[in-house]
Amino acid sequence: MPVLPPPPRYPAPGHPGAPGVGPLIETNNTLTHPTGPEHQLVVGEGTYVLRDDLYLATPPPHPSEAPVHNPNPLATTISPPSVGTKLSLVVIAPRQASYSRLYRLDTTTSTRSQVPPSIQESPHETNSQTSDTGSHSANGVAPSPLEGLHTPPFGGSNPMLSLLNGKESKDPLKKRKPKSNIVKSNSSFVSRVIPHEALSKRLQEHNPNGLYAFANINRALQWLDLTSPTKEEHMTKVLFTKAHALCHDINQVTKGPNHIDLILGFSTGDIIWYEPMSQKYVRINKNGAINGSAVSEIRWLPNSENLFLASHMDGSLIVYDKEKEDAAFVAEDQAPAADPASDEKGDRKASLTVKKSVNSKNQKTNPVAYWQVSHSKVNAFAFSPDCRHIAVVSEDGSFRVIDFLKEQLLHLYHSYYGGMICVCWSPDGRYIVTGGQDDLVSIWSVEESMLVARCQGHNSWVTAVAFDPWRCDERNYRIGSVGEDCQLLLWDFSVGMLHRPRAASVRQRNSITSTTLRMQRSQTNGSVTRFRSDSNLTSTSQDEEEVVHPVEPRARTAMLPPVMAKKVDEHPLCWLGFEEDCIITSCSNGELKNLLFPCRKNTINWTLAAR
Amino acid sequence: MSSFFGRFKPGTSPASPASSNPPAKKDPNAPQPTPLEKLLLDAGPIRADGSDKFFGFENFGSTCYCNSIVQCLYYSVPFRDLVINFPSRSPPEALERPTQTPLPKLNTDISPLANGQNSALSPKGRNSMSSPSGARKPVTSPGATTGQPGTKPEDNKDSPEYKKKMAIAAGPVLTMDYENSKSYGMSESLFTSLKDIFEAIIAHRSRTGVVSPHKFLEILRRENEMFRTPMHQDAHEFLNLLLNEVVENVEQFAKQRKVDGHTDQETNGLTTTSGAVIPDKPSSIASIASINTGWVHELFEGTLTSETRCLTCENTSHRDEAFLDLSVDLEQHSSVTSCLRKFSEEEMLCERNKFHCDNCGGLQEAEKRMKIKRLPKILALHLKRFKYTEDLQRLQKLFHRVMYPYYLRLFNTTDDAEDPDRLYELYAVVVHIGGGPYHGHYVSIIKTQDRGWLLFDDEMVEPVDKSYVRNFFGGDNVLACAYVLFYRETTEEAMQKEQEAEGAAAASSVTTAQQESLALSPTKQNGAVNGHPLQHATTPTVEVDEPLANLNHAATAPLLHTEHTPLENIVTSIPILSPRRSNVQSKKEKEEKAKAEKEKKAADKELEKQAKQKRKEMELKRRENYKKQEDELKAALAASKASKLEDDRRRKENAVEGENGTTSKGGLSRFRHSSMSIRHKPKFWPSKDRHEGTKDSEHDPPTTPSADGENGTAADTSDKPEKEKSKNRFSLGRKKSTFHL
Repeated sequence: MPVLPPPPRYPAPGHPGAPGVGPLIETNNTLTHPTGPEHQLVVGEGTYVLRDDLYLATPPPHPSEAPVHNPNPLATTISPPSVGTKLSLVVIAPRQASYSRLYRLDTTTSTRSQVPPSIQESPHETNSQTSDTGSHSANGVAPSPLEGLHTPPFGGSNPMLSLLNGKESKDPLKKRKPKSNIVKSNSSFVSRVIPHEALSKRLQEHNPNGLYAFANINRALQWLDLTSPTKEEHMTKVLFTKAHALCHDINQVTKGPNHIDLILGFSTGDIIWYEPMSQKYVRINKNGAINGSAVSEIRWLPNSENLFLASHMDGSLIVYDKEKEDAAFVAEDQAPAADPASDEKGDRKASLTVKKSVNSKNQKTNPVAYWQVSHSKVNAFAFSPDCRHIAVVSEDGSFRVIDFLKEQLLHLYHSYYGGMICVCWSPDGRYIVTGGQDDLVSIWSVEESMLVARCQGHNSWVTAVAFDPWRCDERNYRIGSVGEDCQLLLWDFSVGMLHRPRAASVRQRNSITSTTLRMQRSQTNGSVTRFRSDSNLTSTSQDEEEVVHPVEPRARTAMLPPVMAKKVDEHPLCWLGFEEDCIITSCSNGELKNLLFPCRKNTINWTLAAR
Repeated sequence: MSSFFGRFKPGTSPASPASSNPPAKKDPNAPQPTPLEKLLLDAGPIRADGSDKFFGFENFGSTCYCNSIVQCLYYSVPFRDLVINFPSRSPPEALERPTQTPLPKLNTDISPLANGQNSALSPKGRNSMSSPSGARKPVTSPGATTGQPGTKPEDNKDSPEYKKKMAIAAGPVLTMDYENSKSYGMSESLFTSLKDIFEAIIAHRSRTGVVSPHKFLEILRRENEMFRTPMHQDAHEFLNLLLNEVVENVEQFAKQRKVDGHTDQETNGLTTTSGAVIPDKPSSIASIASINTGWVHELFEGTLTSETRCLTCENTSHRDEAFLDLSVDLEQHSSVTSCLRKFSEEEMLCERNKFHCDNCGGLQEAEKRMKIKRLPKILALHLKRFKYTEDLQRLQKLFHRVMYPYYLRLFNTTDDAEDPDRLYELYAVVVHIGGGPYHGHYVSIIKTQDRGWLLFDDEMVEPVDKSYVRNFFGGDNVLACAYVLFYRETTEEAMQKEQEAEGAAAASSVTTAQQESLALSPTKQNGAVNGHPLQHATTPTVEVDEPLANLNHAATAPLLHTEHTPLENIVTSIPILSPRRSNVQSKKEKEEKAKAEKEKKAADKELEKQAKQKRKEMELKRRENYKKQEDELKAALAASKASKLEDDRRRKENAVEGENGTTSKGGLSRFRHSSMSIRHKPKFWPSKDRHEGTKDSEHDPPTTPSADGENGTAADTSDKPEKEKSKNRFSLGRKKSTFHL
């Protein structure tokens, strides 16, 4: 036996194996304009060219934080969650909702007649549409997103909530600002604020139709004016001490030339309400007083000035009020107690655990409502255009549709396999699109509550999906998706095309029963119940089946190929946005790609407008 | 003090073998319980199936490839069970064995004397560092050395070197320098030695410890020149070798047993000369006919079908091949899903790689693709991170970022595959750490039955977070990347159950953490049950109002089902309106309003119910439809199977004829398979091949390894040209026929 050398050692520090510590000084953003065929996308409607390639500077780690350098690649230390750069975009000027183009006059007259009746008559659409939705659809007019205005406000039935809100909204014109000044703040949470030297001048010069963007890069938040000729120079940069901003959202109701309500969710669980114009802020869920886990997604409640919804990594969804104080949260166990049936359902995991209902009378402090969706991390959620539902996707591969007004779970689906990462609604609220670790973009029909198609084309996990509302009409939809494979994919799917190959009989039958069923119901309600009990005999629990949907086998599902696939970056992409005249992508290391498409219709070419 | 320590440790460990280290002592230098020991504190009695044994494996210098793979196989539950139970024994024997002869060898006795003997006995001469007594020295005085500059890496308490030393020091060390092959009725082989290791681990009283696989490595090196050097080896190659070796050993045993059985029957009543066979005799005679030698195949083997479509005559030919693991090419920024799909992508056979079409009789351009026809129970996925680069004339490691999900299904199945949507779950990852293929380190991260994910780094075993598994996707500047992934079949129910359990565990850990950090008094925690004082005031009203609301509902809408539980939530939300009565507005107005609202809600509910009803009906119809489709499919499948059987029979007949008539087609035929695969699966080819029946029979005689490279192992051999004689018989690389990889 020869003498053996000693067991292998771990590589010495300094080897490329060492994780990048990043720059040690503040750097500036850089803007380039690469040209060439490799920076173009060719799609049916024309060619997109790369307009701007903006590289956002990665901030150096905070000096108080000794750079943790572990040469051991097997180190089991758990690093805090971090994400790539995401954007929140806002145009100050009130603009026509992009969705309105969906409901052009011609759509109601010509093509409408070809639409299968099940789509036209959509009182059943989201299964909880109010009666006025029904009347809408009876005219053959699809429910428009504006309908959100007709839906009752969240928690509207709770006098405690409305009382508070009513009292405070005496002067609707005067927007309330957060309390503390972020520049002068001596909070240990905020490290530094770097406003642009000529911030006020730039604010004045800003075109109201121009695009503001807020972007997170590690512990920094940058406010950018994407229409400015000096767009690489940030308007304001806020550096936080330790926490990374993982998600943010702008309130579209309260935005104005002198006011932007931005809400930020952090890796520490903290939430900051930030008004960049006046540099004021307020910290909510301070040190995780209400929920200590990281915020994975945050959004303002539609049409709400004050309320926003945050998903935490422990699987809870929490509604906060931007102006309320924190209070240590103790679950209010009212819902299961009042309704023993929901207890039973809870065992089957097919329900939403309401830890605090919006109808709770204790509304002096945050949280306004607290729902435990699942125990695995919620990766993303999205509000439906009719402002009634939320679609929630989780790390365990589950995808839920929740009626947040009624605080109940409507549907529970599952990914083909692996976790789900992103979700969005079609502009008309008929379809939900998800992306996940199965490399698939999945399209779900809301009205039929089923999987419509799987879109295969990504070579890795899908990290963001979005509808292009400017290229959607009532029968054709344009979807974009980006993934870990650095690719941007565009998908076109049309309602008729998708349904024909499979389940054709279902559709046909459906169109018949939609009329017969109603008759039957008006005549004898008893028959309906009998039907129910009959089906109960055959399947073990009808109720559960209704909520929990099994995974569709591959053989039964339509596969949709992309219309365009293009590697647009060197790094995994993590965010995608469609604007009227461009597509914007961002990647994990803070690079923004702005793909201009010059021949989009009705374009306000804001580069020209901004001079 | 060191002497005290030296005496103390071995003395106490037998007393508490389960959570081996003694509890915390006043001695500041006392070893803290390792994370693994903390994890196992609440463990109950040791299970007999070995699922709660967590042993490290000693590294004899670059033997981490072996350690990581053997660990993965140990925690492949069905594999472990079958290794333990083969050859099948009658129950009394199974009970006897641990107490019989092997016992003294098992080192279950951890008295200081035995420990000393162990180190003395180990003939291979472990260097003093790793011997128990030697290793204990730094333990006694770690405080003195840590602060000093220029300390060795193993002096840092957090370093793996230190932890490994501690693991050996803590023991017990199972020195596997013996073999029990005789008592299994088998001749000494890699299989028996692997079985020895598994049995020893299971039989041992301690839950943790270190295995020194001397014999195993000795046999491995004796029989395989390739592994004789102390060089860094390829873990995947080793896995392949080991699986094939096990298959071979088991089959050899069965063959021998058959012969023995016959002699037994012939010499009925006479004692056989080989004493080893005697204990197994009763069972062996009973099970001669039913010795199951195919269990490795049953677990790891799947079937690939290569479809080749001749572009000239449009004729498609199929050929099936067995695989024990899949080797997939990698791309930067991709996922395992995508790599598997690429594996099955169509490939053009043209120019130098033209296809010999039987139909048109000549070399033709063709399209070829590989799909999975039969899914394995355990899918071993080899990510080809070591790639031959021509300009450098050697292998290079690819650091590509390749994502792997916890759960997986395969897209690249054939249309007639059984259970094409089979769900797999990730349960073991072999990680390679290092800058290149010729050096580095292997560890494995394995999901255990009820202890979550554990990191097995040679002697060290450490619990890790589930998310830790995701640290090895690879990427620039990431030295540690996943190399072999083990997926096993599972069900959706199992997945959901597990996720629920995980969620519950996470939730409980959160609450305990909160309890600790916020120092909530127990009363406050309990308060959650009754709600806090404010809540007390409101709850009764809810209870009182509820029946009222129900009554209202009954009046307006007779359609109230108690089974319709989700809707009940609306009802509960209404009573909360009641406090408003005390508000400024007139009571009457309020009530009316409430009533109106209730009615409206009832109407809503009605509508909703209708919608729901409709949906349900649709769903039902859809399901019926599916069922019908499925039935049709099944019928069609059955029909095709029947016709295929017919076909096969005819072909076989043809093949027999063809064997006599045809001549060799030359080296360019693409349908030669490696000799080894035939040897292992003799029954496989004639029955499965559709179009190549004639050719297969003609190429059945073993071919030279270089000719093998033409198909089955093309990618592998070109990957490792210096290892031309590699035994990757079942490993199927992506069959890129060109050699620039």
